[in-house]
Amino acid sequence: MRWHDATRFAWGGLRGFRSRALLMVLSMAIGVGAVVVLTALGEGARGYVVNQFSALGTNLLIVFPGRTETGGTGTGMLVGQTPRDLTLEDALALTRAPGIAAVAPLTIGTALMTYGGRSRETIVLGTSWHWKDIRGVEMQSGSFLPAGDARAATPVCVIGRTVRDELFGSEVAVGRQVRIGDRRYRVIGVMTPHGESLGFNMDEVVIVPVAAAQALFDISTLLRILVEARSRSDIPRAKAQAEAILQERHDGERDVTVVTQDAVLETFDRILRALTLAVGGIAGISLAVSGILVMNVMLIAVSQRRQEIGLLKAVGATRAQIRVLFLIEALLLAMLGAAAGLALGLAGSALIRRLYPALPAYAPSWAIAAALLTAALTAIVFTLLPARRAARLDPVLALSRR
Amino acid sequence: MQLADFLQLTSTSLTAHRLRSVLTALGIAVGIAAVVLLTSIGAGLQRFVVSEFTQFGTNIISVSPGRISTQGVSVGVFGTVRPLTIDDANALARLPHVQMTNPAVSGNAEVAAGGRTRRVMVVGVGASFASAFKLRVPVGSFLPQEDASQARAFAVLGATLRKELFGDANPLGERVEIGGSRYRVIGVLESRGQVLGMDLDDAVYIPAARALELFNREGLMEINVIHDPEADVDAVVESIRRTMIGRHGRDDVTITPQQKMLDVLSSVLGVLTFAVGALGGISLLVGGVGILTIMTISVAERTGEIGLLRALGARRVQILSLFLAEAALLAAVGGLSGLVLGVGLAWLLGLVFPALPVSTPWTYALLAEVIAVAIGIAAGVLPARRAARMDPVEALRAE
Repeated sequence: MRWHDATRFAWGGLRGFRSRALLMVLSMAIGVGAVVVLTALGEGARGYVVNQFSALGTNLLIVFPGRTETGGTGTGMLVGQTPRDLTLEDALALTRAPGIAAVAPLTIGTALMTYGGRSRETIVLGTSWHWKDIRGVEMQSGSFLPAGDARAATPVCVIGRTVRDELFGSEVAVGRQVRIGDRRYRVIGVMTPHGESLGFNMDEVVIVPVAAAQALFDISTLLRILVEARSRSDIPRAKAQAEAILQERHDGERDVTVVTQDAVLETFDRILRALTLAVGGIAGISLAVSGILVMNVMLIAVSQRRQEIGLLKAVGATRAQIRVLFLIEALLLAMLGAAAGLALGLAGSALIRRLYPALPAYAPSWAIAAALLTAALTAIVFTLLPARRAARLDPVLALSRR
Repeated sequence: MQLADFLQLTSTSLTAHRLRSVLTALGIAVGIAAVVLLTSIGAGLQRFVVSEFTQFGTNIISVSPGRISTQGVSVGVFGTVRPLTIDDANALARLPHVQMTNPAVSGNAEVAAGGRTRRVMVVGVGASFASAFKLRVPVGSFLPQEDASQARAFAVLGATLRKELFGDANPLGERVEIGGSRYRVIGVLESRGQVLGMDLDDAVYIPAARALELFNREGLMEINVIHDPEADVDAVVESIRRTMIGRHGRDDVTITPQQKMLDVLSSVLGVLTFAVGALGGISLLVGGVGILTIMTISVAERTGEIGLLRALGARRVQILSLFLAEAALLAAVGGLSGLVLGVGLAWLLGLVFPALPVSTPWTYALLAEVIAVAIGIAAGVLPARRAARMDPVEALRAE
């Protein structure tokens, strides 16, 4: 028997029972489609997080004050309370390291901002002009904080778009005097809307020189120091240099934590990958259910087509050939189902992308391959038993009984 | 047709093709088992998180500096122009329905004793901290009630820190150095383990005023207000807000009742459990397609039987309900075995991984069973209608 004949025979078997074949294809399609859509969703979430992180700037290192030996992070570390704090001098000392391109100190707090009769509780970031390059800030009008000595508490501020809209309405903001807390500042720039970045809306902040923020909040400490390495390959070197410099400055005590952006990103990446895998696996269960269905229907088909099988055997078909005939039929089914499921899944992911443009929901190729392979494999595995039963039929008995 | 006959007809038609029925039911069973298992894990997780949150009681309101911003996070704890003070905490303690308040500030510092050092979380608290958070002090006593401006340099150790610094020796009365200043150990807290990612045992507790000094900070990070469990939460929140406005001149704090946080958390986790259950439901859908397929085949096979029944006077409704009952029975049997399978697997999972909290939400299990039967009936409608519509003469001739 030639392959061509075998395929035609199997195809005929499917066409003979059209509604039944269609239903099996449907069940396969649901499974494959679910796997494709769900992994696309997981992959989209991963892509979203990665994008968010790259928006933070590349080659970034973050210096925290404090260190725990147990490995966990306490609130004290996150909010930066230690007996020996990071200071502006620490940040300036880091600029000397050869592997470090730029350093932006960061201190943060909330204060009431007033202009005219309007006031608003805003988040105040204190930093230096390097922040613009490290975070990739773009200006809508005016300019960013002036370059120069970070120790100077120049009374100027740069505001986010929402702050501008809320306080100034249709007025021109640049050049106006505002009151933040109990001090007066001149607005020198408005930032382009940037949106949320890691749960932090950059449109609702006001940025002042770090020394001005420290004076405003009456503190001498920094919350973080953002450090940009010269290049991607310089990141480990920059990390080691930053740690060494700060250890020297802190009387030989290692009391800071330096986190590379890659390390944080990798953790997120791993978690979301595992999640995608788990969700895909759960959807994969439905493929097993459709496998059971295929087996059931194939068993029925074998008993219904006894005579046909008997005839084939009578004209000389071997057991192996009969088995192959049924397996080809199952494989055809699986391929049809998988193709339909793939189309369904891709359409579903396209719909998600249209509804949530922020989510790059593309099904990963490994998931598509795995779904297709699993569909083919389940169809074959679950048809083995019915095919064997068909092959074992005795031709005489099969033909004689009606 | 009598009910007994009806039941017999349905069940014999299922037992006649035993393997076929078992496989069809198996499809539904796998689906239900997936739903039950997944929601069990989800609900277990939910219960775990809620119990983590409520182990200190639900009558806690936290007051933190700075107004909550649109993102839902207050950054006032980093720094604000109008800090929360220990006096604020004392003022809040005098409000009606408030049992006690606790000023809190935390940081990270090196603790040294007897030549050993360890970098841990340093928590500045008030005297009522231990009773507020239901922490027992098996060795020594907790920080004494005293005036904030004259707080003595006493320290209470967490269980892990005590072991690391003193081993099995008695730490009471010993001196420890915290961030450069000397403190006397007056107690050791019982072990509480990790609470929401924070290790309460690897920490040292000192008077809040001392901690503010240590970290060179003006304001507290938080004031915990413990109120009467029976008191109306909203009324207490309102009185706290009025007091704070009175003291600060404007509304510049964020007040979060734990009950609110718990409600939000619960509902988020509930949605998550539902979503995971729905994922498992995809398998159930495929199982439904299985029933549809098998019933279609079964109707085609039994054309003669249907024709005979009709010729003997069976009405269409009767034929319809015969096949519907068959589909429903298949699904119900499958659902029940799936339920047993899922609960068994969940139980086994809990046994193998004791860290993974598993609890089967019976409402979900029941719902899954109902859905299984509903799917069975829905899948049976088309084939059953085809059977009922058959013309008896045509059907008998086909035979």
